[in-house]
Amino acid sequence: MTKLLNRSLRSFSIYALFVLAASIPAYYYLVDNIWLKELDEHNDIIAMRTAHELNAMRLDDKELKRSIALWNEIQPGTSLEPLKGASWPKDSVFTELRANPYLKRYEVDRFRGLQRPIKINGQSFLLTIETNMEETEETVIAIAGVTLIFFVILVAGFLIINKRLSKNLWKPFRVALQNLKEFNLNHQKPITFSASEVVEFTELNQALEKLIQHTITVYKGQREFTENASHELQTPLAVIKGKLDILLQDEPVSDRQYQIIEEINWALSKISRTNRNLLMLAKIENHQFEEHTEINLSELSERITLEISEHYSIDGRPEMDILPNVIRFANRPLVEVMISNMLSNAIRHNIHLGAVGITLSQNALTVSNSGTVSLNREQLFKRFSSGSEAGSGLGLAIIKEICIRHNWKVDYHFIDGRHFFSINFD
Amino acid sequence: MKVLIIEDEPAMANSIAEYLSGEDYICEFAPDYKSALQKIIGHNYDCILLDIMLPDGNGIKLLEEIKAQGNEDGVIIISAKDSIEDKITGLHIGADDYLTKPFHLSELSARMYSVIRRKSFNSSNRIIQREIEIDLPSKCVTVNGNQVLLTKKEFGLLLFFIGNPNKVISKSALAEYLSGDYADMFDNHDFVYAHVKNLKKKLSEGGYGSYLKTVYGTGYKWEK
Repeated sequence: MTKLLNRSLRSFSIYALFVLAASIPAYYYLVDNIWLKELDEHNDIIAMRTAHELNAMRLDDKELKRSIALWNEIQPGTSLEPLKGASWPKDSVFTELRANPYLKRYEVDRFRGLQRPIKINGQSFLLTIETNMEETEETVIAIAGVTLIFFVILVAGFLIINKRLSKNLWKPFRVALQNLKEFNLNHQKPITFSASEVVEFTELNQALEKLIQHTITVYKGQREFTENASHELQTPLAVIKGKLDILLQDEPVSDRQYQIIEEINWALSKISRTNRNLLMLAKIENHQFEEHTEINLSELSERITLEISEHYSIDGRPEMDILPNVIRFANRPLVEVMISNMLSNAIRHNIHLGAVGITLSQNALTVSNSGTVSLNREQLFKRFSSGSEAGSGLGLAIIKEICIRHNWKVDYHFIDGRHFFSINFD
Repeated sequence: MKVLIIEDEPAMANSIAEYLSGEDYICEFAPDYKSALQKIIGHNYDCILLDIMLPDGNGIKLLEEIKAQGNEDGVIIISAKDSIEDKITGLHIGADDYLTKPFHLSELSARMYSVIRRKSFNSSNRIIQREIEIDLPSKCVTVNGNQVLLTKKEFGLLLFFIGNPNKVISKSALAEYLSGDYADMFDNHDFVYAHVKNLKKKLSEGGYGSYLKTVYGTGYKWEK
């Protein structure tokens, strides 16, 4: 993951590198051609001047010969040779590489030359002028060096501009992002974004505001549905329950009728249990239990274990092995539901005269009960998957959901004829 | 004793009234916010049963209104919502109890009995039924002057029975009452038998007249 600006910086830098690299040969050809043109011009001027001066001197043949010899001796880079043959050649221009004989180390110099036939005192001569010019490598190296310096300046500039942009230009974006991070659907407090002069950010903020408003509306609707569903189901259930209570008062009811009423009562409590658990799940999924406080799990587990075993003492009390003062940051109602679900599961599914145990260590809570065969680990935590006739089939699903909310891990093992359900806090 | 039932579901309201009719209760009905408000302003009640989800207004507002009247009416909120916030809000404003639907009528009757007693007798709150005497604030029970030591559950059971005189109480209603917060957890009701048996034993050791009868095998009845 890279920052957006760094990503564009990289692309810009690579592009600049390519452009500048491509400019090196371009500059070289340009400089070299100017060189050549200027040198050719220079050679041309010298040739014209030489011919003109020598003619202007009006020397006789003998003096001319001596002068030319002298010329050739002292004027490096130029030579005058009598032109042989009758033909009058055209000017020739050439470039030559030659080792410098005056240097000890080997160094090649580049020369630009001009050969031109001239007439002095009616005699034909071939004038050769050679001028030293910069070598190719030297030109290329110089240009490359300068280009590199500019590249460095360019990238440094990019970095500085980048920093400033991210500080100022992206400020509204970062503010909006911070707002979004702090947004909690449970509090239902709409976010107001600060106004921005940048079109894109204004549009983004408007879109976000709309989205959040919509989310809050949907969330409220869902919450209302949850509550309404509860209301709609609970009231008829209450009516049935009440009518059964009244039916019981009508004397005389036969034993058989009483049994039927009790069976209906039993089924009714199962329905309301399922209804309540479904609502519980919906509430957890709707993040309606977000308030986290420090909880002493040791005291809580001990209290719940004692309370539950108080009216379920047929198969003996659960074996408690609770480390004192285990503190966790969590939602209290959810943790209470989790522990009591685990315990009541263990008690409910225990075999006759089996054992139930609860163990709390610094990083795990384990509830166990005796059993005969291992349960299906894959199916266990899914809704309505339990084989229990009486349970709502939602107890473990709720435990799992609570663990997800707290970033805990729930696991199941079957060891030595005992079911172990454990919550790992780390 | 006068009871106002503020409940929009007629079947529900009628059940409550019918169950209570055998005792000294006179029930009035208010199916909506408006009529409830009229009754509250014009009359005094010993106990008001308030469904906080009314079609034309929030029951919490009604509760505020009742409290604003300054009457000593006992209020029990009946709600389909099992929400902790509502419970806390309701009790904070001044409701005396909060009952979540669906409930057994025996549970409601027991709670009404204790709310009315608390309201009308304050600190010197003693229940005397023939040879049994219960001092509510100190939770002290005597039979023929001999103190009987009861556990918390047994004491609760005794009050439950006294709050439902001459009614047949099913085992499932007692199970729900006894398990309280954990009512959702258990389907095995055997513990009811154990607790009732202990209560009976302790009371008969003190020499009470066996008003607690077992009916239809697993149901119970407290004869007044």
